[in-house]
Amino acid sequence: MSTVLQLKNITKTYGDMRALSGIDLALPGDAYISLLGPSGSGKTTLLRVIAGFEHPDGGAILFDGKRIDTVAPHQRGIGFVFQNFALFPHLSVAQNIAFGLENRDVDPVTDRRVVDARVRDIISLVGLSGLEGRAVTQISGGQRQRVALARTLVTEPRMVLLDEPLGALDANLRARMRAELRAIRERCGVTFLHVTGSEAEALAMGDTVLVLESGRIAQSADSDTVYNRPASPAVARFLNCYNLFPGRIEGGTFVGGVGRFALGSGAPTRAASPAYAIRYDRVAVRPREAATAEDEIRIEANFVASEYSGAAVNSFFALDDGRVFEVESHLSHAAPETYAEQGRYALVWKREDALVYA
Amino acid sequence: MNASGIKTGLGAYTALFLVFLYGPLVVLAILSFQTGPEGGPQFPIIEWSTYWYKHLFGLTPPSRIAPLPIEQALVRSLGLAVMTMIVSTVLGVTAAQAFRRKFRGSGVVFYLIVLGMMVPGVLVGLGMALVANTLGIDRHWWSTAFVLHVVYTFPFAFLVMLAIFNRFDPSMEEASWSLGVTPARTFRKVTFPLIFPGVLSAMLFAFTLSYDEFSRTLFASGRDLTLPLAIYGTFSVEVHPNVFAFGVLTTLFSFALLGTYAALMMLSVRRAKRIAIQEEA
Repeated sequence: MSTVLQLKNITKTYGDMRALSGIDLALPGDAYISLLGPSGSGKTTLLRVIAGFEHPDGGAILFDGKRIDTVAPHQRGIGFVFQNFALFPHLSVAQNIAFGLENRDVDPVTDRRVVDARVRDIISLVGLSGLEGRAVTQISGGQRQRVALARTLVTEPRMVLLDEPLGALDANLRARMRAELRAIRERCGVTFLHVTGSEAEALAMGDTVLVLESGRIAQSADSDTVYNRPASPAVARFLNCYNLFPGRIEGGTFVGGVGRFALGSGAPTRAASPAYAIRYDRVAVRPREAATAEDEIRIEANFVASEYSGAAVNSFFALDDGRVFEVESHLSHAAPETYAEQGRYALVWKREDALVYA
Repeated sequence: MNASGIKTGLGAYTALFLVFLYGPLVVLAILSFQTGPEGGPQFPIIEWSTYWYKHLFGLTPPSRIAPLPIEQALVRSLGLAVMTMIVSTVLGVTAAQAFRRKFRGSGVVFYLIVLGMMVPGVLVGLGMALVANTLGIDRHWWSTAFVLHVVYTFPFAFLVMLAIFNRFDPSMEEASWSLGVTPARTFRKVTFPLIFPGVLSAMLFAFTLSYDEFSRTLFASGRDLTLPLAIYGTFSVEVHPNVFAFGVLTTLFSFALLGTYAALMMLSVRRAKRIAIQEEA
């Protein structure tokens, strides 16, 4: 796969705050890439630097092999879809979509019929037929999202940057638009770089998932790898599905605040600080007196509360050092257990299921 | 004091406020219908008539009361107000656009601009007269007075536009750039249409402030008088109801301006609605 966009050691600071501290990445053409990061990790800044709305303090941006870090935004040929959509309120749906075609500096389309035909095509592609003449203030959030997308896609950019494009939609619509965004992208054959703060969205949508952590790319891999083998404790924490223990490694065991865990056969992942991670759904809750197998790790904790989310129940336990430990039980596997409040239980997982960072 | 007491008190205060606001105007309007040429500028109304309105336009038989010497002053004032409006609005819009980004010394520049509306008009007018004399420049309504009018009205236009830009979402401009549209064309096609209501307000401010500016013009306009000066000049001889009639007419003119402004504003709002209604039907 050819590389469309390449960033080399991009840095950006605001006053004393380092928003981006040395970003290196290469994005392939014709792919859906999601960029996941907690708020304040610099993801919007990164997008704005790529679009040219902000100037990086250092580093190089190559687009199609050419350096573009000094090129004005309107000459970059990179589309941008804003979280608030940023539609032109004084123009109708069709006029919004035609705006770029008619007004762009390079190769504007002046033939009314050509513009109309291309607007018609893109309107049917994004599913907005019948709304052409509407004012953009008179359509729903999901429709506005489509107008924003259509307005960008009709100009045929090689790459589209999407800044939390589903953030302003309600949950129902968000789930539907995920599938649609993927389908639309496949039909257009352009690269989408989709910024999101939601791990579920990033994992569901990206062919490649980039995880941004305090101004650096912490991991770049496919969804499965990111989810199952987060590259660092920070990534694991951000995925919101791992219990993390800080501590240190001594011989064949991990020494943490609540005990010593025997390590599995795999080598620990290299990380800045040692940590031990076990996924919420890999933990079993058993009565205190239940037996533990040879290859299992066992700790004890007090039950605090549980939260029902339809397909699963998340139970929260307080460990002896005060930390909260979360267990996710999928209801398709077993009927939900009821635990006694403040009752003491054994939390058990297989040694091999844990991820160890050293 | 209970709630209804406060309500009554505030109501009375508002009523009193309105009386003081419109009272003089109403008295003026009533007296302008005094009979002429013998009726004077005081109550009681001897007989209702439109004599003084006709007198303004020279439609009455000659009498001892000279017609108001305002025809040329009116043209001058209108011309000056239009010139001031154009220049101040352009300056106001461009300056406010510059202030959207912080630049070095922006605080100082801000106060320098706003100073123009703060300093006492008489002093500025006098200062301008002295400067003109020292430099040997002739004073005219279209030169020295015009400059002072711009200095005075530009801050108003600037502040109006600053408020408008404050609420303006810059991502709309960025969206336009990312579609390949140059910043200049983006300003024309996106920014300007959206700030247009603000531009109209700035124009209205500049026009009306310039149109009845007195103190600055007094010293700076030289021989040819503007309308406020000409009207003031007539007071020094003897006041006749023809001045009141003229006052009523200029007030009506101001209302017409406001009406045009409101109509232009409504038009842009209704356009958006009409499109929506057509779709619903």
